Amino acid sequence: MTALGSGSGGGQGMKPVAVVVGLVILVVALAAVYFLAPGMAFMALIGVIIGGVLIGFGVHFVPVGGAPAAMGQSPGIATGVTMLAAGAGLAGLFGGAWAAELGFGVALAGGAIGGALMMAITCLMVNVVYVYAMGIPAASGKVAKDPITGDTFEAYKSQGTEGHGLPFVSYVGGVIGGLLGGLGGTLIYLELLGVYEASLPQLMGGSIDQIVPLAVGLAGIFAVGLFLVNAVIAAYNITGTIEGPHDPKFKRFPRAVIGCAIASAVCGLLAVMLVV
Amino acid sequence: MEELLFGIGISAVAGALATVSGAAEDTESDIGSQGDPNSQVQLAPQMGYIHRIYSKAISGEPPAYGLWCALGAGLAWALMAINYNPVLAIVLGSAIAVFVQGIYATTAYLGRTASLAKFGQPVYIDLIKSVTTVTMAHAFIAIFTCVSMCFLMVNALRHPFPLPLLGLVWGIALGAAGSATGNPFYGKERQYQSQKFGAGVPISASGNIVRYAEAGQRSSLDNGWFTSKMGGPASGVCFGLIVFLELWRTIFFEGFAAGWGAVIAGIVLILIFMIIDRMVEKWARRTYGPYTEEKKEEVSS
Repeated sequence: MTALGSGSGGGQGMKPVAVVVGLVILVVALAAVYFLAPGMAFMALIGVIIGGVLIGFGVHFVPVGGAPAAMGQSPGIATGVTMLAAGAGLAGLFGGAWAAELGFGVALAGGAIGGALMMAITCLMVNVVYVYAMGIPAASGKVAKDPITGDTFEAYKSQGTEGHGLPFVSYVGGVIGGLLGGLGGTLIYLELLGVYEASLPQLMGGSIDQIVPLAVGLAGIFAVGLFLVNAVIAAYNITGTIEGPHDPKFKRFPRAVIGCAIASAVCGLLAVMLVV
Repeated sequence: MEELLFGIGISAVAGALATVSGAAEDTESDIGSQGDPNSQVQLAPQMGYIHRIYSKAISGEPPAYGLWCALGAGLAWALMAINYNPVLAIVLGSAIAVFVQGIYATTAYLGRTASLAKFGQPVYIDLIKSVTTVTMAHAFIAIFTCVSMCFLMVNALRHPFPLPLLGLVWGIALGAAGSATGNPFYGKERQYQSQKFGAGVPISASGNIVRYAEAGQRSSLDNGWFTSKMGGPASGVCFGLIVFLELWRTIFFEGFAAGWGAVIAGIVLILIFMIIDRMVEKWARRTYGPYTEEKKEEVSS
């Protein structure tokens, strides 16, 4: 996880053949569900794909500095992209699943805010450690000024480093990333829960009350799994470190969005076909 | 009203358990050098610095803790299903999960260190004996408190997820919070004590970690002693706040506006944290900087 100074290189463009192949897989997955189980299952797959895309897009906002950040050599949070985004998104999923009985809108908002709150607290504590325990002010290595506060960074950067700490723009990026991750994860969970609650009683010959624990468990496991799949794809797109929405690497997100849509379609197909 | 007070009491207990869990998790990962700064421990022998520091980072802390907490919670859940007392079930589940952690730690240390044999880095058998047991003890506290917290969420607060799934979810969140907050303190303040306080570590100093303690060679046990002063408690406060506020805002405000009260409370909390963060950032700029004279406008990016 030390992609220090890897910059924005590494093929920002998309290969047309790969994109077309991916989109064909996406359409095949959608068509398979449409013909085998139109209606609710098809709509659920669409929801899963949207959720996956939200997660993949959201991961790009999360400021992650990996090992260099742990030495104050580059800005961001000192952990891996996938790990942090997954932690935030799953905290959101916890809140969303809890609020599921209050309706679709409340559950989605609860999941999104849960993820954002986790990131807000984590980012604050990260800055507290940087500032009070290590004596490091925030300084970005990628831009001269904070796009939100207008703070200049060059004079606050230690010699021989690429910047350090967590500038305010990165903080806001982290919160947005947690928000999108929690929203996407909760959307996937709710869509799959709807399908399982509708299909499992008939499939297993039990009442809805008997089936609910199984449906919740299955939907939760698939939501966690899909979360990790999409977070890992986005992490590969980022390759190592990213400072947040102001980082040049952020512009790579369209590639991850397409990748996440395809992966979510295939994984969602498996999750839905389990019961139809 | 009674139900509300009960819910808030449970939130407080869960928050306290999470605080202990976060502090133990970070100290465990610093003793075992599992967080992101482990790359420096791995790099040091290649730069000619032989050391006695444990390195067990095969995967990051979040997936590792996700596994251990899911394992502890799953075993506790299975034992409770055959009518074991919940406390005994959680203790036994966590103890078995810790043995998995111990195996992981031993094989990871041996594998990682053996791969550095060509740079002259020895495998210290005394380190395996002394450090592994200490990381296991810290891991037990982290897993036990995390699983206990999940048990409260399922049984007292009626969260719909089954216990093992909650163990996975909060295990990953625990690792993420601990690794984000505690890692920098171990990475810079402990490993690079030869560098001056109040600045980042120059990239050219990579691998030149401090290898000697006050008396003799430093081992990973010294790292636990050092990071439990600041990195551990900071991680504990971070994870404790996440768990407590997540539960508190839901229990206290969900009754308002058909559930939207909890969402609004969450937004207010996020804004408050954002304001505090900005104040901390401004304080740091006033107190530490600028390091060099500010240039006028045109600074290259």
